Parts: sequence; structure tokens; C-alpha cells
Amino acid sequence: MPDADEPSEKQNAAEADVEGFRDDLGPFVVAADATRMAMVFTNAEEAANPIVYANQAFLKLTGWSRDEVLGESFNSLMARGASPDALNEIEKAVAGSHDDDPEICYRRKDGSQFWASLSVSPVKDEQGKVVQHFASLVDLTSFKAEQATCKLLIDELNHRVKNTLATVQSVVRQGLKTSTDPAVIRESIESRIFALSRSHDILSRENWKSAGLHDLIDASLEPFAVTDGRVERFNVEGCNLRLPPKAALALGIAFHELATNAFKYGALSNDAGTVSVFWKVQSSQSGNRLILHWREKDGPEVTPPTRKGFGSKVIERGLAHELDGEAHVEYPPTGVVCTIDIPVPQIAEGS
Amino acid sequence: MLEGRSILVVEDEMLVLMNIEEVLKDHGCTRITAAATVEQALTVLDTLSFDAAVLDVNLDGESSHPVADELSAQGIPFVVSTGYAQLALDDSYKNQPVLTKPYRDEALSRALTQLLGR
Repeated sequence: MPDADEPSEKQNAAEADVEGFRDDLGPFVVAADATRMAMVFTNAEEAANPIVYANQAFLKLTGWSRDEVLGESFNSLMARGASPDALNEIEKAVAGSHDDDPEICYRRKDGSQFWASLSVSPVKDEQGKVVQHFASLVDLTSFKAEQATCKLLIDELNHRVKNTLATVQSVVRQGLKTSTDPAVIRESIESRIFALSRSHDILSRENWKSAGLHDLIDASLEPFAVTDGRVERFNVEGCNLRLPPKAALALGIAFHELATNAFKYGALSNDAGTVSVFWKVQSSQSGNRLILHWREKDGPEVTPPTRKGFGSKVIERGLAHELDGEAHVEYPPTGVVCTIDIPVPQIAEGS
Repeated sequence: MLEGRSILVVEDEMLVLMNIEEVLKDHGCTRITAAATVEQALTVLDTLSFDAAVLDVNLDGESSHPVADELSAQGIPFVVSTGYAQLALDDSYKNQPVLTKPYRDEALSRALTQLLGR
């Protein structure tokens, strides 16, 4: 049994190699130790291809100490933390039979993993004989994490696009039911697509995190204010409560339906009518609730519709369903009143 | 085949839901129950019985797989309705017909008819 304290012959040889390496490349070693790229040199003249130099970045990336690395065969050091597939890639890279730098996943000494791109180049002497291998590892961990985030975002975007198309499909179906007059059908479909688009604009400006309730109402009423030329016919009062995207889209459609109805038949269809929109947050046993009122006055006398149109269905059925609350549209002669009572929509954590 | 049937529709987007409801009504379904969240869906599944269901996969960021599991446990056949590519679906939705949004009205009625004829 060799004495554990006495360096073995192999170790002695390896240390001699390391010293030789340092002497040959003095200033380079200093530079290599300072760089962030993980690097090792091996002695290709020995069959085991032992590591003769490993820089600080390599030790930091892999978690091995210098003593655990120096003199060790490069392939067997790699075998400690790489899967058989990755090891196969590494061996190919060392043998020079790899066209691209392989991306490998490696387990550190402590078991945690990192991704790196491995590049191995032979160092040749004057006779063209391979005397060393220079291997470098570029840490791809943060790049891989970013790639995963991007994929997630793209999946979400695709999901959103598909849902939006399904929403447009529904808008078209409803539009076709409103009339047989192509001009009326077109107007019904277009105005709702533009309403959706305005809500999207607000959400895009805020990176799809949230939209302000006040901003949302202003955007929904904007086309009607422009047509009318008088913004003062709207009285909008309430805090700019932050709404998550889904609630913003649903409410955006609801306000659009209310405003359209007011413009066609209600308070915005004559010169004198006004619309008040006001809301507050009330605490209740079931948590905070958003109570919002839409109140029209001084419009033509209101006669209740004989059948429920798309607008009131969207509000009473759709909005109440989607936002888990209640919404009612009433038609007293003095002007349409809509009351929305929903739990204050919560914005997802982290957004 | 769909006439007189009771269908559970689990869908969180109101306009999409309204479209599905109308397709089902046009085919003579008599009882259509809607749920927008996992919690709502599980509550109605606790109290009502259904012939079949239409299940959206993503309910405002929450996966509907607990609903899929409950439907399977009760032996209620269901159609998966999703905006995701089919690859992204997990095991709870296995062996169920999948409709990728947007889909034709006929695709929905055909899928439900096939389920109820099984």
C-alpha cells in the first residue's frame, strides 16, 4: 500500500508537467487566470491526456479544486459530471471529430448543473505533433434560461393569438345575427374588433401586465367623443384601478357595448344627453369589490328593448361569468343604467 | 345526438363561451352550464350531472387539469378546447378529442356527437 501522504509517481510527474507549463507560458498563465472563460490545457503526449493547467474560471464553473483537477485525465474528469451522451460529445471534441462546439450539460462537484459550449483545439509542435489540448467552456446557463423564458413567452403569445381569433369568430357570428343589411353587419363586426384592438393597445403599452380602469374607459369612449366632438358629455370618476389583462379585455368590450348603445339609442343620440361613469372599491365579507355605475341622462325617453341584444348579453351573461360577479343593465325611461359588481380583479404576482 | 343533452362548458373567455353556447343551443342541447374557473367547475360537478363537457385547458393562467381528472373520475366524456398546440397537453387530457382554437362550429358538434355515441 503506498503511503497516502507520499505523492505517487503519477502525481510527481503531473506536478512536473504543471511546473513546466507555468514556466513556458508565464505571462499567459496570469492572463488566463484573470479571464472569465473557463480554460484547461492537457498534456496530449501522455495517453491519459492529463490536465496540466486549469484557470480560476474553470474551477469556479465546475466546483472542483485545483488539486482535484491537475494531473487528472481530462476525459475522466468530464466523466464525473457528464451524462453518457454528453461524454460521448466531449470525447468526440477531444478527438477532433466534431465540426461544431458541442453544448453539454455538466454536474458540478456539488451536484448542481450548468450548460456550456465546449471547444477543444489541439496545440501542435514544430513537427505538427499534437502536444497539448486546449479546452475552453463558455457558460451557457443564463443563455439557456433566457431561451426557456423566450419559449414560454412565445407559447403564451401563440395561445393569446389563437384565443383572439376565437373571439373574433364569436364577434362575426354575433354580427351576422344583428341584421341582414351588409353595412350594419360590417359596422357591428368592425367596431367590436376596434374595441378589442384599443384594449390591446393599452395592455401592450404596459407590457401586458395590467391596464388602468380609467385609461380603459377613456379609450372605450374615445371614438364616440370624437364623433360627437364634445368630450364634456362624459363624466368619468374613479381611481385608475389596475386591472389584469383578462379583466381589462372583458370590461373594454362591455364599455364599448354600452357606449354603442348610448350613441345609437341613448344619451349620446341627441344633443343634450350625458353619461356618467363612476366607481369605488368597497370592502365586504367576500373581500374587496369593485362597484361601477354607468348612468345615462337627458337622452330620449328610453323604451326597454323587446329582446336582449348582444350588448346586454355580453354584460349580464359574459362579464358576470368571466369576472365572477354580477352585472345588470336596466332601462328606466330617464336613461340606461348599468351596474357592475365584481371582486376587485387581482393582478398576478410577479407582474 | 345532441338534442336534450346537458353539457358543461368550462371556458373563461366570455365571447368564446357565448359562441360555444350558441352552437350547442342550435343543436338542441337543453341544459348548458358554464364555468369560468377550476373552482366553479368542480362545484357544479359536485351537484349536477352532465352528459358531456367542453373543457378549455388554460383558465386565466390556471391549468384545468383538476377538472379533467374529475370528469374522467365521473366518467363524463369531454372535448378539450385549447389555444395551445396539442404537444403542450399533459396526461390528464390524454385520449380525449382536442379542438384547437379557433375551430369550426361543426367540429365541436361532431366531436360531441362522437363522444356521446361511444
